[in-house]
Amino acid sequence: MTILRARGVVKSYGLTPALRGVTIDVAEGEIVAVTGPSGCGKSTLLHCLAGILRPDAGEVLYGEHRLDTWSEKMRARLRRTEFGVLFQFGQLVAELTAAENVALPLLLAGTGRREARTAAVQWLDRLGVADVADTRPGEMSGGQQQRCATARALVAEPRVLFADEPTGSLDSRTSEQLLGELVRVVRDQRTTVVLITHDATVAGYADREVALRDGELDPSGLGLTAIQGRHKR
Amino acid sequence: MSTTHVLLGLLAAGPMHGYELKRSHDQRLPQAKPVAFGQVYATLGRLQRDGLVTTSGQDQDGGPERTSFALTDAGRARLDEWLGEIEPPAPYVTSTLFAKVAVAVLVSGEQRAHDYLVAQRAAHMDRLRALTAVKADPASSLGDVVAADFAILHLDADLRWVANTLVRVADLHREMQP
Amino acid sequence: MKPSSLLRLALAGSRTDGLRVALTAVSAALATLVILAALTVIAIPELGDRVNNERYVNALLDEPGLRGGTAITLILLTIPILALAGQCARLGAPARDRRLAGFRLAGASPGQALLIAIAETGVAALLGSGAGTAVYFAARPLLDLPGPDGRLPLPTDVLPSPVAITVILVALPLVAALAAAALLRRVVIGPLGVVRQARRTRPPLPWPGALILLGLIGTGSVLPIWRWYEARQSQPPDWLIVPIAFGGALCAILGVILGTGWISYTTGRLLHRFGRRPSVLLAARRLTTDPWHGGRTFAALLACVIVGAGAACMRGYFQIMRNLELAEMVDDSGRFVPSTDNFYLATMNLVDLAIVVALVIAAGGLLVAVGEGIVSRRRAYAALVASGVPRGVLARSILWQALAPVVPSVVLALVVGTQLVGPTIGDEVQNYNRSAPYVLPLDTIATYGVLAVAAVAAAVGVGLLFLRGSTAVEELRTG
Repeated sequence: MTILRARGVVKSYGLTPALRGVTIDVAEGEIVAVTGPSGCGKSTLLHCLAGILRPDAGEVLYGEHRLDTWSEKMRARLRRTEFGVLFQFGQLVAELTAAENVALPLLLAGTGRREARTAAVQWLDRLGVADVADTRPGEMSGGQQQRCATARALVAEPRVLFADEPTGSLDSRTSEQLLGELVRVVRDQRTTVVLITHDATVAGYADREVALRDGELDPSGLGLTAIQGRHKR
Repeated sequence: MSTTHVLLGLLAAGPMHGYELKRSHDQRLPQAKPVAFGQVYATLGRLQRDGLVTTSGQDQDGGPERTSFALTDAGRARLDEWLGEIEPPAPYVTSTLFAKVAVAVLVSGEQRAHDYLVAQRAAHMDRLRALTAVKADPASSLGDVVAADFAILHLDADLRWVANTLVRVADLHREMQP
Repeated sequence: MKPSSLLRLALAGSRTDGLRVALTAVSAALATLVILAALTVIAIPELGDRVNNERYVNALLDEPGLRGGTAITLILLTIPILALAGQCARLGAPARDRRLAGFRLAGASPGQALLIAIAETGVAALLGSGAGTAVYFAARPLLDLPGPDGRLPLPTDVLPSPVAITVILVALPLVAALAAAALLRRVVIGPLGVVRQARRTRPPLPWPGALILLGLIGTGSVLPIWRWYEARQSQPPDWLIVPIAFGGALCAILGVILGTGWISYTTGRLLHRFGRRPSVLLAARRLTTDPWHGGRTFAALLACVIVGAGAACMRGYFQIMRNLELAEMVDDSGRFVPSTDNFYLATMNLVDLAIVVALVIAAGGLLVAVGEGIVSRRRAYAALVASGVPRGVLARSILWQALAPVVPSVVLALVVGTQLVGPTIGDEVQNYNRSAPYVLPLDTIATYGVLAVAAVAAAVGVGLLFLRGSTAVEELRTG
């Protein structure tokens, strides 16, 4: 069953086109890797699918709902209940502890503090970082931070997880650990995952791959760390 | 290194003397070990026996280096078949991939090479996914994981080369056809 | 969102955020004290019309007719306090905005993010108004010191109605929260970061000059209007004179404040044209690219300078009046009868006191702004220092950038302040059938000007003490 759909999505930043009409279907429960060289629009596509940005044209459908027509308020609500987002860095709030960070989506949705904290600590434990629950992100290693961010993305038990280069700033061993645990958890919960990466070894964790180039789908799959040739095809 | 198929490919452009074949081989595939005359002639002999090439041209008295060889229909068919095949993804296949891409460009141009690369890449990715699953499987032994790591990293290297080559194929085409 | 969660998210913060909360609370406490003082004055019961109540030492509190003016002056003191609060609200704003963007990414709606932002201000203001009220009640018995004739120096025997006190206690935080929301209206907090709606990038135009002229014309017309009515044996109605006078003054003050942008920009261009040293050129470039940066910080100070200059002129007038009066006394009875009714000068003393208090508050706001400016630019400064600019050059450029537009602005403020009051006084002072020429008390006026520039220099100097710490190479770390 298709849970997420993009139809001809177009998005520009000022005069620079980032997406030129991308159509993609994501089935429930699958892990899709979106690959492509830097600047090809993968992050923009993820932001449009997750409802963080509104496309300039085209449709984004979540189930039966047209996300691109929803208000900012409704899309924010989606982000704290049914979508989880995991970025490369910079998404943990530096002034809150790890447990508070993880509990954030629940707190914003109206859950009581005690209940939210219990859920947060449970998830931190699942991802192996229960011992840093009361420290600030500034005092943690990169790997620990990303695990906390992953816990936050999953705490509300979302139906779809959007991950943008989640291991981009980690070394290969930590990367492997994080991805292994992430995949284990999402398979357990049957969460759908849209994963952006430019690394083939990370794309290997996905069920299938969708390649983008210059804002469009690229069936040739060019772009897993392709160098930019000086000639365009 | 499937010299067989490379020679078939080199002959696709037209008949060549044995000596010219060796020079052409070394020129087109500079990274490969220069092929010895002996190997060229032995291979040509085999190909002739299998009916994939025939001798043509008159200089019979000059010895194999003066004999020109030409591709037969069977030879052409065999070449096409080879060009359409995907190399089984495994570590250290890059030299074979390179030979195939070079020949494909020579024989049938960019599009063919491009299509081949796309298909090869898909095969590599499938294998990569399978190996990653082995790695992530809690039931795998350490030996399994280590072997999987080895294969994955080499496949990754191959994939990067494939991606780069897809960008460069147009230039490659121009270079191959002087 | 549950209220306890809202509170936790609103008050999550680093040291800078704590400082911001503390300063907002202090401003709220000051504002509460001043408003309660005004309410107390208003609450003094009427015991007759235009008759001294004989309860208080100072006629400003005693005479019903003058009490209104006192209360209004007290309420006007809230303006520099508000300016201080506004400066404090900008402390550490970038970090707070990043935090809010983080909340948005985690799923906070725009309304929730705004609520979290203004909740912090509201809570801080509530703490402040509570503290201010507590101080008021604690100070009342302490200041209850009746003199030998039973008169009180301060209205410590009167209490505003409990309803009024409660209203202030509750309304101040609400107003503060609403003001914070208004300040944030241009800021769009998106999940991927904060976007401030771009300000205009054109260089500022001198249209505030027209505003100043308008104001001066307004106040300058008070005397001619009075004379016109006098010639017709009547007095101009209050509803005509008061708005023209106040409106004119307000226009002129606004004009001076808004004109700082143009003054900064032009100063920058002049420095760029004639400057040679690197510190001057650095300052010039920063002035032309961001002329409003400095203007915001010393707006309140300029307003105080204008009012101070006007007050100095009035004091000069009253002084001459007093001198005439004294000369009259000597003539009549042959001996010097000093009149204790030094009312006008005593009133001017109090007015001066109010101005000094406002000046101090404005200087406080300036200090906060300068400190915040240096600290928020520390990456840029650290990069400059790391690339070889000597700290001395950087420090001098900051001084140039602050003082170069301040001096012409202060001069303008002094001139405007003098011109607001001067034409109403005229050239001659008459009292008791004597007259004397009116002389501008230039020394007092100049003192105000020097004080203002010194305050700016001192604030920048203190801020520069933070420069060494702010430009340490560690600031360039990305981790």
